[in-house]
Amino acid sequence: MGNGFYTLFKKDCRMLASGKFFLMAIGFLVLYTAYVNLGYIRFMQMPPYNVYLYDPAGTQAAKSSLVQTVTSMEAMDAALLADANGVGLDASAGDVQVVLYAGAEHIDRHRADYALSLLRPSASRTPAVIGVNTPEQKARKEITCELLFFEMAAVGFLGIAAVLFKEKNMGVLRVHAVLPLQKNWFLLSKLAVFLFSDLAFAALLTLLNVGPSNGMAVLPAVLLQTAVLSLIMALMGLLCALLLKDFRQFTLAYLVITIFAATPVFLSANTSVKFDWIGWHPFYHVYMGLKNAYFCISVSPVYYAGSAAAIVLLFLVVQYAFCREIGKEV
Amino acid sequence: MIEVKNLTFSYSKDKQALHGLGFTVEDGEIFGFLGPNGSGKSTTQKILTGMLKGYGGQVSLFRQDISAIRGLEFFQKIGVLFEFPYLYANLSAVDNLNYFASFYPKEQRRDVGELLEMLEFKPDFLKKPVSSCSKGMRQRVSMARALVSNPQLLFLDEPTSGLDPSGAVLFRKIIEQERKKGTTVFVTTHNMMDADLLCDRVAFISNGNLVALDTPKQLKEKNSNHQVVIEYLYRGKRETKTIEVLELEAGISFAHDEIISIHSQEPTLEDMFIQYTGRGLS
Repeated sequence: MGNGFYTLFKKDCRMLASGKFFLMAIGFLVLYTAYVNLGYIRFMQMPPYNVYLYDPAGTQAAKSSLVQTVTSMEAMDAALLADANGVGLDASAGDVQVVLYAGAEHIDRHRADYALSLLRPSASRTPAVIGVNTPEQKARKEITCELLFFEMAAVGFLGIAAVLFKEKNMGVLRVHAVLPLQKNWFLLSKLAVFLFSDLAFAALLTLLNVGPSNGMAVLPAVLLQTAVLSLIMALMGLLCALLLKDFRQFTLAYLVITIFAATPVFLSANTSVKFDWIGWHPFYHVYMGLKNAYFCISVSPVYYAGSAAAIVLLFLVVQYAFCREIGKEV
Repeated sequence: MIEVKNLTFSYSKDKQALHGLGFTVEDGEIFGFLGPNGSGKSTTQKILTGMLKGYGGQVSLFRQDISAIRGLEFFQKIGVLFEFPYLYANLSAVDNLNYFASFYPKEQRRDVGELLEMLEFKPDFLKKPVSSCSKGMRQRVSMARALVSNPQLLFLDEPTSGLDPSGAVLFRKIIEQERKKGTTVFVTTHNMMDADLLCDRVAFISNGNLVALDTPKQLKEKNSNHQVVIEYLYRGKRETKTIEVLELEAGISFAHDEIISIHSQEPTLEDMFIQYTGRGLS
């Protein structure tokens, strides 16, 4: 019995390898890691706005090194024209005047306050950091969580559906209907391959981007949430591949799921945008489960019960669709 | 081996595919199941192979009601050749067969290399992906897949489809060898030559009804007009004459110099099918 499952598992691994899925996953891992370490973190540490100071009398001796001095108001105008988000400080008349291209009022206030604070850096109070996460750690965890969610919700979903579409088009699903094997194994072996692949991906992505010691601390919780998301997405991928006629139809379903389902989740979870109905969106809870795992926030048992029920229900629907597919007329 | 009584099946309320079929297939028999497209052949085969449930009537295989068959033993005893060569296109013939064979107990499996050699599979293509093989070669791999488990009951759907004439002769020889080993063979086909040359008995199915069931020879004889056409030469002229078989038994009574040929007017299986169903095999 176990031998049959092992044969299916080996075949599925081979199918994924021949479809360059593992290579693609490694490529994404390298890409995401490079983006986080070479792009995102550096970007987050950059000063939010460039500040230009015109101070012919040299009255601002205590200014921060982040302030760039210009030699004339014409030079200031030229700098602000080239960098419309920049803030100009004119100290030529004694009092410091803020000069900027107007945007949203609340942002402009922030820009002005930030620019003025750079003239007296020693006067700024160092805020107390709440919790254990440094700003960099927080940024690393957030972006790793987002990338992992995207990888599984979009790429993993597409991968499993592509494999099943291939088998469907080759007609081999029908052959498995008359082989001495439990029909569920055919589905379970695929789920197992994607689950292991997603768990390995999640572990590597977390360790490489959150850091070895912080990564190890959150890894068990992250892997548990990864397993939940991986199973849900893989089952949805299988269901789409079984119900939809061809890959073109699937592409449309894929767009609907990734854009219309994932976008409000990202917006609600990561920005101040809040939708009243987001609590009814199942992906919001799955995403928050993953995010909470990265920030060591305990998750309600109701969430786990709901996830387990959703996985079982999806599996039963997939099983029904699979049995219907293998008995279909050619 | 197979016993079917009053078999009915509907895909939907207004789409009844089978209307009470009944037939038996004896152990070691080659049984032909003939019918035009959409007549219910594939539906019947899917019920017999356990792929379709929700049918009416009684179906017994291996002297056991198919609805009571649970577990994997049933699938270990049957081999199925589908109409199209369903294989993993990215795997080689050997890898495909090793993969499918691995689901059967070791002691039951046949040697993959020997099977492919018996089916005259081109050795150059053994390690190449089956996507690079011709349809005939893929059909050989599919046949090998159906035979790799040494089945007691073999279901063949259009076995010679996609094969050249020598390939078709080879397949018929192999099916005959299987029968000699004691395998029961259930053949679904459009090919009248296959049915005539291979089958011990054939059943004609039309619109989900069984319209005739007998040996090919009996079916043809029953509907024969018992006449022969004699072509002969007389005084340098080529002529033909149709006479009764009984008349021929008494000797050729008309004047002739040389008999060129004598052709029986026995109908073909295809003629019989059209006569029974009013439809051609398309």
